[in-house]
Amino acid sequence: MSLADPRLHGPAATETTMPTTTVPSPPSTKAPGGTGARRRRHHAEGLEAGKRSTRTLLWILLAAAMIFYGFPFLYLLFTSFKTPIDTIAVPPTILPKEWTLENYTNALGRSGVLASFINSAQTAIISTVLSLVLAVPAAYGITRYKTPSGRVFIMAALVTRMVPPVAIGIPLASMMSAAGLADTPIALSIAHTTISLPLSIWLMSSFFEAVPKDLEEAATVDGCSRLGALWRVVIPVVSGGIAVTAIFAFLASWNEFLFALLMTAVRSQTTPVVIANFQTQFGLDWGSMTALAAVYSIPVILLTLLLQRKIVAGMTLGAVKG
Amino acid sequence: MRISDRRFATFLMAPAALFLAIFVAYPLFRLVADSFFKISPIAGGPRDFVGLDNYFQAFASEAFMGAGWRTLAYTLVVVALEFALGLGMALLFTMLGRNSQIWRTVFLYPLMIAPIVAGLLWKFLMIDNFGLIGTLMHQAGLLANPNQIGWLSDPNIVLFSVAIPDIWLTTSFMCLVLFAGLQNIPGDLIEAARLDGARAPAMLFRIILPLLRPVIAVALVVRGIDAARAFDTILIQTNGGPQSASETMSLLIYRTMIRFGDPGLASAMGTIYLLAMLAVAFFAVSTIWRPGKDN
Repeated sequence: MSLADPRLHGPAATETTMPTTTVPSPPSTKAPGGTGARRRRHHAEGLEAGKRSTRTLLWILLAAAMIFYGFPFLYLLFTSFKTPIDTIAVPPTILPKEWTLENYTNALGRSGVLASFINSAQTAIISTVLSLVLAVPAAYGITRYKTPSGRVFIMAALVTRMVPPVAIGIPLASMMSAAGLADTPIALSIAHTTISLPLSIWLMSSFFEAVPKDLEEAATVDGCSRLGALWRVVIPVVSGGIAVTAIFAFLASWNEFLFALLMTAVRSQTTPVVIANFQTQFGLDWGSMTALAAVYSIPVILLTLLLQRKIVAGMTLGAVKG
Repeated sequence: MRISDRRFATFLMAPAALFLAIFVAYPLFRLVADSFFKISPIAGGPRDFVGLDNYFQAFASEAFMGAGWRTLAYTLVVVALEFALGLGMALLFTMLGRNSQIWRTVFLYPLMIAPIVAGLLWKFLMIDNFGLIGTLMHQAGLLANPNQIGWLSDPNIVLFSVAIPDIWLTTSFMCLVLFAGLQNIPGDLIEAARLDGARAPAMLFRIILPLLRPVIAVALVVRGIDAARAFDTILIQTNGGPQSASETMSLLIYRTMIRFGDPGLASAMGTIYLLAMLAVAFFAVSTIWRPGKDN
């Protein structure tokens, strides 16, 4: 049916190709550039609806789903622009009767709120750097040399994903205070790295898998050491993959709550903890809470929309290998 | 002098391995060790060896067994609904083809939102009196009064209500992974089935789902593990209440440790919880995934 459909053969057809210049294609689509695109396009055709009436119905369904899915966050945004009294009006209205920035000035003016943003950013950046510094060489060692210890190591890293944070949070917190790091961004970022490191190793392994071995063999023949080949030849090739991994490590730390709750008191409190505290301290101040939640979420939502292709590549990598 | 490749690989892996050993394996060891002691919550307080007492106490406690069942029910509800919705959306996007690309991106946005924010947001939608959902359902004529359903205050349904933000947050992940899997199904296969006269249900259950099996297995296991650890969304919505009706394992362990000040008992609970998760995960991987058999 759809082989003759002109819509499938326009310039838009290239968009399903991975951005091969920056991100190496995932292992499931090893064929480089053009041929990969052609094969993928062919695959997708089988299920695509052809009839105009069916397509219209599907678009209506999609519109309904998107409204349902997008509405909760829009309502949060609308609420953040209501007057404080309006936020708890009975019955509630969707749109503000009167638009105001009062909640934003209230929320950001509370003591500790701006500091918590700085703490969140600091913690997330330290944790991201730490994850990358540890994961990149480890993943390279695992995929390039395929030693038995490497196989054991990647399995062990996957098992750590199953460890509930609540189980290690308390011992970890007491280790940190013993080391004199209690209530510091360093301690929290180390805790966050226990979450992001296994994920980073897994992701980076998939990216290194896609790099042809000849590349660094040629480099070593030219007199590079193995470490030099990794640093000067392989790392530049997987820089897109490193960016994806960095985004995931950053998000894991930025959004994390339980470790932050257990390991921070005042000085290094991150914003998720402050949001949770708002609720206990100022029970009905939904205006400030929604404003703070919006300010905290919007940067990462924008980041996703900007970098969506990389994020999609990263998320599907592990799972689709099968 | 050149070291062997094997040594070089070990040298590359060592820092990460050391990090995980110190900051994951050692705390886990401490957790298991603590589970055999009765520990005073005061720093420097007494610490007495009690053997398996904490384990007996955990299994004898109604709170622990209740939390175990609730965690299981919560995980099943979350994963089942997410899978159904995610598959539906993935099929929808696939059937619409590449014109739907921009909407696929928009559909991802909840994945970036902190669980604590999602919990807060849904609490606001479902809260008694000024929650929007009750009001809208009332205006649509579905409810006689906006407070008829106590989403977060009725112990019979609260476990389902607290699951909603979790489902909302990660259906996108399910959809994304299943969508990617669908793109790898050969078009000829679908075409051949269609020529053979296969109708939509047969197509779905006989062809698409079996082909997606490895992808589905990974997605279910990954999400199942995450759902079983849910903490943030439940804490902010109900703090486990009313009457512990939404208290899952993570919350119970947290409260036993912090609120009731019994680290020994909490460690025993944590150890059992961890072992149960590992057992379920290995069982799931070996039965649904069956690596090697499907390829």
